[in-house]
Amino acid sequence: MQDIVNALVLGSIYVLISVGLTLVYGILKILHIAHAGIYTLGAFLGLMFYHLTGNFWLALFLSIILTGIAGIGVYRYFYKRVLEESRIVPLVISIGLFIVMQDLYRLIWSPYRQPFAVSFGIGDIRLKGIVITEHQVIILIVTFVSLLSMYFLMNHTKLGLAMRACAEDMAIAGTLGVDVEKTISVAFFLGSALAALAGILVGVYENNVYPTMGEVPSYKSFVVIVLGGFGSLYGAVLAGFILAFTETILVAWKGFVLPRDAIAFLVMITVLMIKPEGLFRRATR
Amino acid sequence: MKRLGFLLILVVFSAVSFATIKVGLFVPLTGIGADDGLSALHGAQLAVDYINSHGGVLGDKIELLQYDDQTDPKQAVTLAYKMVQKDRVVAVVSGSYSGPTRAAASIYQRLRTPMISAYAVHPDITKAGDFIFRVGTLATVQGRAGAHLAVEKLGAKKIAVLIMDNDFGVSLAKAFKSEAIKLGAKIVYEAKFSVGEKDFRTVLSELKKTEPDVIYATGYYFNASKIVTQAKELGIYQTIIGQEGYDSPLFIELSKNHAANGTVITTDLDRDSEKPVVKWFIKEYEKKYGRPADMVAASTFDAMMILKKAIELAGKADRMAIKKALPLVGGEDFVTGFKKFTSSREAVREVVCQVILNDSFHRLCVISDPSIITPGR
Repeated sequence: MQDIVNALVLGSIYVLISVGLTLVYGILKILHIAHAGIYTLGAFLGLMFYHLTGNFWLALFLSIILTGIAGIGVYRYFYKRVLEESRIVPLVISIGLFIVMQDLYRLIWSPYRQPFAVSFGIGDIRLKGIVITEHQVIILIVTFVSLLSMYFLMNHTKLGLAMRACAEDMAIAGTLGVDVEKTISVAFFLGSALAALAGILVGVYENNVYPTMGEVPSYKSFVVIVLGGFGSLYGAVLAGFILAFTETILVAWKGFVLPRDAIAFLVMITVLMIKPEGLFRRATR
Repeated sequence: MKRLGFLLILVVFSAVSFATIKVGLFVPLTGIGADDGLSALHGAQLAVDYINSHGGVLGDKIELLQYDDQTDPKQAVTLAYKMVQKDRVVAVVSGSYSGPTRAAASIYQRLRTPMISAYAVHPDITKAGDFIFRVGTLATVQGRAGAHLAVEKLGAKKIAVLIMDNDFGVSLAKAFKSEAIKLGAKIVYEAKFSVGEKDFRTVLSELKKTEPDVIYATGYYFNASKIVTQAKELGIYQTIIGQEGYDSPLFIELSKNHAANGTVITTDLDRDSEKPVVKWFIKEYEKKYGRPADMVAASTFDAMMILKKAIELAGKADRMAIKKALPLVGGEDFVTGFKKFTSSREAVREVVCQVILNDSFHRLCVISDPSIITPGR
């Protein structure tokens, strides 16, 4: 039971990080590695605003907005110019950008790990030997709420329709009157805001914010979108949880036979061998 | 006229270069070791400031040439050639990890330049040759000291061991286990984890069932803060014994709900020491760099102080003379418990057991029994 709780929390984090990546891949077909840099930025901004204001939710809000804007900046100043080029070009830019971002954070905020100690005052929940810490509770609630809002946005608003249309075919969506430019910016904003949310939640959960915290998520989230079927939002959500459960169950069953990251990639490779299009490829393609 | 000007410049230049003794330092300022690298750099700078403001060495000031090895062995090798052949340093201090230090050690040996490794633990570093020395405590010594702490001081009979799966963790655990068994304790649980692991709950739940008296957990401060936090979450209240990897104020800060309290570690920096140099170091470090000193900073500080003493003993800033003088260095005025070098150029250091109380490090005991702290017994 304890393992299920842990896996749900881990899965929530994977999903929050990967949704933004999936949005970007779905529309632009770019592997946005720098997304992990955006995630780190969100965590640092959240910590900074928390120190300034003393109010966690206010800090969360400010960080999400600013990180979202930074995400739009990444699109406008870096990716937009090279959309016509071979897809390797934005990928290389993205990797470079990620490395530069990490060093920039180190210069601004020092290489030391910084604690992000927040208490929500609800205390840990203990039920028949199972412990759910208050941070885990917050992560589960916040993820649930954000995913629900995303679902509503994608399926019941014009904006969601525009995003889905752009993901199908940008040129046709444009001729049909969709403001492609605006839609892409919104996708970057949303994706980056969710990454910031993930960054802050992880920062609090692990009581730990540091410049290279995006390193593992940069390739883990990649596994999630590959498993999820390249650009499928539902796929990414399911894949995030599947990955978290696989890792946790393997560890519970066998101990740390393999590092978690190796497990993730093994799962990815296995799935790709059997089903090269990913587990949940978008039906309409 | 032109030639005269050139000569003049040459004279001035050599006069300047004669006024300082050039010492090299390589530390990781980028890459995974960036935080330890910065602490090491600060420790070295503080030592140089201390030396230069206390009359220098042999009347000359020390000039510290510092470089970033990016936690990369290749880079450390490039820097070794640069420092020896271009900068012409008389000796080098490594404030870096085992990987870069080990790679660079063979180069310094070949170029016949003394190198002192401040805190890298890999046993092969000093095996590069007679120009290579180490200030840090060997994993074998530290594991052994941990076993004495667990069995003799804390009276443990059943011990659980958590092993970080790298050089550092494995060699510590190996030394700990063999000594603990020798002392009559039983290892009731054992699990390995990778350096990046963050979730120990599953393993800790299994560990709990074996009801150990103490838990010996190898790891760095960022693993350790997770281990103690999650252990408390799961209601594990046995003493957790760590080692110098825990020795950072961040271990306490990154643990949640004051979970670090009660943890006992074996390390080198005695925060409650009465020695003037230790008091000065702890106070000045915090004043200057805005954060409490850690083991890495203290060890790098000492590496620099040892080098200074060697130059004094040698009577001249010459590579060969320094190499010959280093084995003679000894004394009391070091920040860690450094006493002397063995014939295999490993440090004999007192092992300090610290306990965390009220979110700060305090002395529990000092292990100075030569049969425990002498490397290569």
